[in-house]
Formats: sequence, structure tokens, C-alpha cells
Amino acid sequence: MRRLAAAALLLALAAVTPLALWAPPPAARAQAVDVYINITGGDKSKKINIAVPDFTLLSGTDTAVPKLLASVIGNDLTLSGFFSVVAATGSIPANNPAALAQTWSAFAAAGAHAGVHGLVATRGDRLEAEMRLYDLTTPEHRLIASRKFESPAPQSRRLAHRISDEIVLQFTGEAGVADTKMAYVVGPPGSKEIVVADYDGAAAANATRNASINLSPAWSPDARSIAFTSFMNGYPDLFRLFPFERQRPVQTLASFVGINSSPGWSPDGRYLALTLSKDGNPEIYVLTLATGVLQRLTRHAGIDTEPTWSPSGQQIAFVSDRAGQPRIFVMDKDGGNVRQLTSGGFHTQPRWSPKGDPIVYTQRSGTHDLWAISPGGSSPRQLTSGQGDNQSATWAPDGRHLAFQSNRTGRWQLFFLTVDGQTTTQVTQGTNEATSPSWSPRLP
Amino acid sequence: MLIRAAYVTLSSLLLMGLVISGCAKKPATTATSAAAPAPEPTPRAAAPQAPSPSAAPSTAAPAAPAPLAGPAAPRPSPKDFTAVDALKDIHFDFDKYDVRPEDAKTLDANASWLKSNAENLVLIEGHCDERGTNEYNLALGERRAKATMNYLVSQGIQANRITIISYGEERPVCNEKTDSCYAKNRRAHFLVKPR
Repeated sequence: MRRLAAAALLLALAAVTPLALWAPPPAARAQAVDVYINITGGDKSKKINIAVPDFTLLSGTDTAVPKLLASVIGNDLTLSGFFSVVAATGSIPANNPAALAQTWSAFAAAGAHAGVHGLVATRGDRLEAEMRLYDLTTPEHRLIASRKFESPAPQSRRLAHRISDEIVLQFTGEAGVADTKMAYVVGPPGSKEIVVADYDGAAAANATRNASINLSPAWSPDARSIAFTSFMNGYPDLFRLFPFERQRPVQTLASFVGINSSPGWSPDGRYLALTLSKDGNPEIYVLTLATGVLQRLTRHAGIDTEPTWSPSGQQIAFVSDRAGQPRIFVMDKDGGNVRQLTSGGFHTQPRWSPKGDPIVYTQRSGTHDLWAISPGGSSPRQLTSGQGDNQSATWAPDGRHLAFQSNRTGRWQLFFLTVDGQTTTQVTQGTNEATSPSWSPRLP
Repeated sequence: MLIRAAYVTLSSLLLMGLVISGCAKKPATTATSAAAPAPEPTPRAAAPQAPSPSAAPSTAAPAAPAPLAGPAAPRPSPKDFTAVDALKDIHFDFDKYDVRPEDAKTLDANASWLKSNAENLVLIEGHCDERGTNEYNLALGERRAKATMNYLVSQGIQANRITIISYGEERPVCNEKTDSCYAKNRRAHFLVKPR
């Protein structure tokens, strides 16, 4: 398709609507919003074009907030994979139906199917916001939904994420995954710390700072703690930290002789599957968090590690080299009924979808790439190819997005992938290496 | 894509989206600032404190003394061990943990030294190259250290003199992405300390 000059896409309201010349000028400036077209990423024909102008500031003086909210929501909606965002500058005047109608007409003319009118007020240390969602495909610009939100003032990004998730809910029937966190590992070999950021990589902050090697972060199902392996006491032991409770110390979960690694939470959060070599070689055990009781699941001379639970909590997929090279196996939660899931390759890092299907894993074949296989074992499908190494996948709670690490840009960074393979987006940009992401459940 | 029934009218307009999609323009206010990288976390950097749960992970406080599971078996600190020239590394094939014949000779020599220096405890580190993935390599390094220990025990070294540790792929001695570098990293390394 022909690429139009950028200037031609700027649809200033007055230029678009002759109506503006006939109607009496509204009390407030109706021409506050300039509409742009910005369609980005993926299979565009299936996306909803949505307009997210700056929020309307009802009270307060922080003029950065209305822009920030629109900007974060726009990014969230783009990352959701459902939307193409029609960008704009300016905000819609408050309490001005004529200006609102005019704005939506202009956006509709520019191809928008839906519009988000956000309003925000700052009251003391609180933010109060309202999201009004409009259907721009109807002549009257039907109001689809409206909902109020509030949050502490410093959490404006989180407020935006919550609004984004509500918008996704309105269109798909399931909330989005923007109000989540990403835990991951930062640093070169020999000096790795765990970091927690917003799911989109923003607002990253260290969760460990022990000048040791910290690995394999795994969010608990209640999104309140992160299990991880650390050499902070010299040996690879298993711990958990509580990222939102400043004073709460790190808890030691397992510190047996040998390795204590590969934490895998049961879906109900009561159990942690893990790998211990205390009985001679790496085997999978289940730790009951409330009691500290250990149950051994595997008994094999080879390596058994990397347990991942089915969402029903009834089965566990894991890695074993009992067939020669490492492959993915599945067993019942008590260790019985072991069956081999993959064959013919070097397979590690199984991650069971929170929706039950598929299991994503890493195949090494020269380079590493992500594959997906049904828990029944049929038709493995390649998710990444031809772009360096791609590994360490983690599922978003919607079972639709994956985060993973790739060195396609020269150093390890985190990326998103929609499991339908439509879009890949780079998440982290830093000069440090970012690896081993764990996508949190939706925050409480 | 699932769209609520009340909103199916949109599907008729998706063709329009197709047309618009050809008109990509530089983003105006969208996305770019939202995706701007935050101040980059670095290993050992000070962790900012902020209200939960928007940001503000706590920094790892000292670990609680009593583990939930596992006797905190007395383990000598790896930091107390030092390398000696007499004890040579051995190496492994990719994804293997059996002691190769040529490395058995090296282990025989190491065993002899340990016999004549009986006042020393030994720490065996198991290492991997960066291929494969972290968690699996941690297990693989454990197997390498264990296989090395078993060989030394078979040569008459008391098991209670030996401690093993796996570093997986986390402590390479060579950082290039070459076969010779990978081969150097797939190793068992020996450190000692007086009893």
C-alpha cells in the first residue's frame, strides 16, 4: 500500500468537519484533539482500531498524568495484540458533549472503531480516574462501558494498567494482563541479581542484592512471593522473597547437600515442586509449604529436573535425560504414570500453559528455539526460528502471551510473543543481560 | 478473536482497518514514552523503596537461619577453599558426565596428591558450557562433580573428605562462543583447604 506523507495523516478536527463552521462555537475549545493514525505490529486486519487521547484533567495540576495514562494504556493495548492504537495529541474538554461527539467523529473518520475517554483527578495523594469506552462504529457513538478507578498518586502506571485490563475485558471477555509484574535475572555470569519490573519492563528494581548468583525466579500463584535459586550462602539453595513486604526476610526453602533448584509452584500455591540431589542425583520432589514435608516423585539414575504443573494440579511435566538426551516427560502429581512427551531432540524448560494446552519448551538444535506441544504429545509446533537463541519461556496468566529471552540483538533481552505467533515485541532494552523471566499472576 | 456479541458490528469495519494499516505513521503520543526503559537495574545497585505493589521489591534481607526443608547440613564454605597447582581440571563431552579415559589419568594423579596430602579436604566444582539451559546445566554440573567424586572414592579417597558443588553454566572460564571455549568450560575443578 502507498505510504502517505505524515502531514496528510494529521486530521485536525476543524479541517475535517465543515460542521464546525456552522455550529456555534462550543464553550470550551472543541478542537483540543488532533487525530493521528498509528497502526503498529502484527496481523493488522484482525485488530480493533482504538483511539486513546490524553486523559481529561478534572482537578489537580500535574499535567504529566493525563499524558502518562494515555501513553501507558496505548502501549498496553498494543501489547495485548488485540488493538491498533490511533494516536492523538490533546485531550477532550470536560463536560462538553459537542466536543466529545466531534472528537469521536474525527476518530471514526480516521478509521477508529472504538474510543477511550479517560478522566482523571488528583485529590491529595490519590488519583481518581474514570474510563469511558465508546463504540465509534455506531452513529451515536454508543457508550460501551464506564468504570471508575482510584489509586495512590505514585502508582499512576498501575492505574493505567488496570484500565487497560478493563478495556481488554470489555472486548474479549477476559481481563488483560497489563496489571502484572515480571521477575527476571539481570547480570553477566557470576553476578546475577533478580529484578522485578512492571510486565512491560518499566519501573524495574532489584529484588535481590546479595552480590551472588541468583537464578530461576518463579512467582507464587498469589503473586506475593518469588521462589528462586541462589548461591548467597555458598551453595545452590532454594529461597523465596517477598517483593512487596519490605521488612520480611528471605525464607530458606531448601538447603540440602547438593543442588536445590528449579522451583515450580502448584496452581493452588500449597506445594512447590523442586529439584534436589541430596539422594545421589537430581530428582524431583514436592515440598508442602505449610509443613516443610518433602515427597520424592522421581527415582531414576539420570537427571530429572524442571518440574512444571498442569493447571489442574494433577500432572507435572519435567525434563529427564533418561532417554539419552534431555526430553520432556509427564507424570502424575504423585510421581506415577510417567510418559515421554517429546522425542528426537534436546529439550528443556517445559512450561505448562495456564489454560492447559500447550506445553512450551526449548529445543536445542544448533541454536535454541521455543516449541509448543499438546500435553497429549501430538504435533509439536515451532514458535521461534532464525533469530539467535530463544529460550526460558514464561506464560502470562491469559495463556496467550509468552515472555522469553533472546540474544537476537547481540545480548540477552526479554521479548513477548503471542502464542498464535503473530507478534514479537522486545521488552527490555538495557545494556545488561536480562534472562529467565517469570510472569506474575494478575496482582491482587 | 473473541468479541462480545454486542460488539460484533465492528467486524464489518475490519476491512477498513486493513486500509488504514497501510498508512503507518510515526507514533504521536502513543506507546513510545510508556515503553521508555526505566533506570536500569544493575547487579548490586541500591534498590529504590516505594509503596507496594507498584514497585519496590524489598532487597533481600539476610536469609532466615532455619530452612523450611532440609537439615542445614554442615557444609564448609566454598570460599574457604583455594586452588593448588597440583590438582588439574578434567573435562567432559557435551551433555556428558562420564569420566573420559584420558581424564582418568588426570584424576589418578589428583588422587595421588590427595593421598599424600591427607590433611586437605577437597571441593569439586562441576561446570558446563553455556549451551543447554540454566536449570538443566545446574543438574548436569552436579552430575559431573558427582562422577568425579565417585572416581576419586574408587581410587581410595575417603568420601568424607570430598564436598561437591555445581555452578552449572554460571562460572565459565572462557567467554567466547567457540567450540574450544565451550570445551574448556565443561570441567570439574578442584579446590582444597586444611581440615
